[in-house]
Amino acid sequence: MADLGRAALVVSFGLALYALVVGAAAAHLNRRRLAGSARNALLACFASTLVAAAVLASALVRHDFSFVYVAQHTNRTLPTVYALSAFWGGQEGSLLLWLLVLTGYGALAVALNRRLLRDLIAWVVPVLGGIATFFAFMLVAVASPFHTQTAPVDGAGLTPSLQNPYMVAHPPMLYLGYVGLSIPFAFAAGAMLSGRLDERWIVATRRWTLAAWTFLGFGQLLGAHWAYVEVGWGGYYAWDPVENAALMPWLAATAFLHSVMIQERKGMLKVWNMVLVALAFELSVFGTFLTRSGVVNSIHSFAQSSVGGWFLAFVVISSVFSVLLILWRLPLLQARTKLESALSREAAFLYNNLLLVALCLTILWGVLFPIVTELVKGESRTIGRPYYDFFLRAFGLPLLLLMGIGPLIAWRRSNVRALVRSLVWPIAAALVTGVVLIAVGAGSSRPGLIAYTFSAFVIAAIVVELVRGTRVTGSLFRLIGRNRRRYGGYIVHFAIVLLAIGIAGSSAYGTNVERHLSPGQSTTVGAYRLTYQGVDPIRNDPNRVGRYAVLHVSGPWSGTLRTGNVTYTGFNETDNDVGIKTDWLRAQDLYVIADFQNGSNVVFFNVLVKPLVNLIWVAGIVFLLGSLVAMWPDAREQRRLVLRLAPARA
Amino acid sequence: MTTRSPARLIVALAVATVLAIFLLYTAIAGKSTPQLSPSQLRSHPGVASVVGVVVGPVAGDSHTARGLRFGLRDRGTSNGVVVPVVYHGDSPPPLFRATREVVVTGRYANGRIDGTGIVTKCPSKYTASSPKA
Repeated sequence: MADLGRAALVVSFGLALYALVVGAAAAHLNRRRLAGSARNALLACFASTLVAAAVLASALVRHDFSFVYVAQHTNRTLPTVYALSAFWGGQEGSLLLWLLVLTGYGALAVALNRRLLRDLIAWVVPVLGGIATFFAFMLVAVASPFHTQTAPVDGAGLTPSLQNPYMVAHPPMLYLGYVGLSIPFAFAAGAMLSGRLDERWIVATRRWTLAAWTFLGFGQLLGAHWAYVEVGWGGYYAWDPVENAALMPWLAATAFLHSVMIQERKGMLKVWNMVLVALAFELSVFGTFLTRSGVVNSIHSFAQSSVGGWFLAFVVISSVFSVLLILWRLPLLQARTKLESALSREAAFLYNNLLLVALCLTILWGVLFPIVTELVKGESRTIGRPYYDFFLRAFGLPLLLLMGIGPLIAWRRSNVRALVRSLVWPIAAALVTGVVLIAVGAGSSRPGLIAYTFSAFVIAAIVVELVRGTRVTGSLFRLIGRNRRRYGGYIVHFAIVLLAIGIAGSSAYGTNVERHLSPGQSTTVGAYRLTYQGVDPIRNDPNRVGRYAVLHVSGPWSGTLRTGNVTYTGFNETDNDVGIKTDWLRAQDLYVIADFQNGSNVVFFNVLVKPLVNLIWVAGIVFLLGSLVAMWPDAREQRRLVLRLAPARA
Repeated sequence: MTTRSPARLIVALAVATVLAIFLLYTAIAGKSTPQLSPSQLRSHPGVASVVGVVVGPVAGDSHTARGLRFGLRDRGTSNGVVVPVVYHGDSPPPLFRATREVVVTGRYANGRIDGTGIVTKCPSKYTASSPKA
């Protein structure tokens, strides 16, 4: 079986290389049949990669420990779903997943657009072939999942904290996002190589970008929720380089999704869009380099693996390629129209983009800071949470405000009086919210207060838009159905507001109390009173030993909460099993971490009340809903686009 | 007379603003911490972020005056310099134990780290463990 997997990967490499070389020659020489052959090679590359993936999946499910990869990441007691999730649990498997998704996405995107955008597709194929060649090469020559050995009795297994449903879904979601950004990049590069720099490449890739962006965003929220419920430190985001590696391309893609609207509508920001799409792609590969190279310290432990250098080389080469392409095509990337006023919707989009990119680059600077100081000063230095928090406020709060202003400001040109008139309701909502919050004592955190008043402003702006539109159509559903992209976007904006409220609430208004308690003792945290009733040891479980502290809670919620320390016998790994009680009415969590003291029944309790934290998870669902609405096929929009792009095709 | 688009002006002003904030932050508010390994500490007394492997025995309690006590050694070595750590503060994170890779933040003085923060590295998807023979 391993031979079949190896052979399939070699075939994938050959086909990807063919798509790159022959595809480029065909596009350059304008040889249509040869271009078709390169296109078919890309489709076949997906098929052969699928064979390799099936071989690995089969070995994982069968616990075939003659595969080194299977022995390193699974064992016989591992449930099938987690054995299968080991596909992306290790380096080699995750690279195979990357190639599989890339060739699958690529084959589908090329097949769907091959007639409509024939001249452009001829160049898209070699670009996708180039990316696939790199990953196939890595799998064939550097990190093959098909190395074999004499099968051991059992495998090493999967770390218990990774045996969690979130960890089954979170990594593939991120991969679907990272890899999905290759498609708009390949189309953008194809557009520049072919010289067809009208808006067709944007129209063809809009849903691909949206899908990749949705996967990346939702995948990050899944990871945050896993950290919150499983890792047991009370937080959900630590500004760690690995987390930032997913956030940076998401921010760049967010900027791109906004600025392409300006290009589609006004023919502006063409160079900027090319820069953004390249940045999003490069950052997605750079993130992979970060997580595989071990060049920066992270709370995630990384092997100092050999793939880092290869990824760095790929990032450098593809970045240089992108920059040279943009420079070469600058004369063709001139805007059709110009920004007429700094007070217009176009300008609001531009401000939004600048803030998003500034935030993205600031995070990148924070991630690279240890490397830069090592190179410049000979001493690696880190900048921690205060740096990131400072810039999140500096760029994030104005971004939040712009989400409310953007949809209500006029296209082309506006003035202060007209703007204020259109923003009367949002301004009133923000002021009322601010006054009420100060009155109820929530003015203690200035960033929290600003975040809440801005959130009220945005929600009011969205409501104003929906009310206005519904008056015209007579129904909210009809309104959303008529322009799914626009109103799907508003739903996503609403999700971002929920996210902002959740983050501000849980970080600015949270309560944290630490207490040593013996059985029978109580403590009060916020409106809750917790009484430590006693110890409940784990009994008759061959896989786990440990004990739980049982707490009686009274207050806004009454009941029993269990929290303790659990050691997984096969791994000698102790986890905090946190006690979480969610109060949906108040959208807050009572979060209790227990730490037993040296074998006694005295427990050190860390009790956190996290107001509004659950809005973060609700935001994830709303975000998904909004993205689906925006992505949903829209015949009316399609007709509009066909009419608009007809001259370009002629 | 040609009318120039304000887009370039806006971009230039935005870039300048970002650079100014960077300079301000790094010059006034920014605090970076040197990232060192235990063996580098002797020549760098003061506040540092130390990356190493926990060496047992791990004893004591971080919430008491005597603190949580353990040693820290360079990664990838089995018998290098072991720097003693006395840690006070929140309970060490889950997964903290001897042989784990951790990042300890604190002050190094008199041959000892007075730790104020510990981050235990998460089990990685990309670190292979040895299968049972």
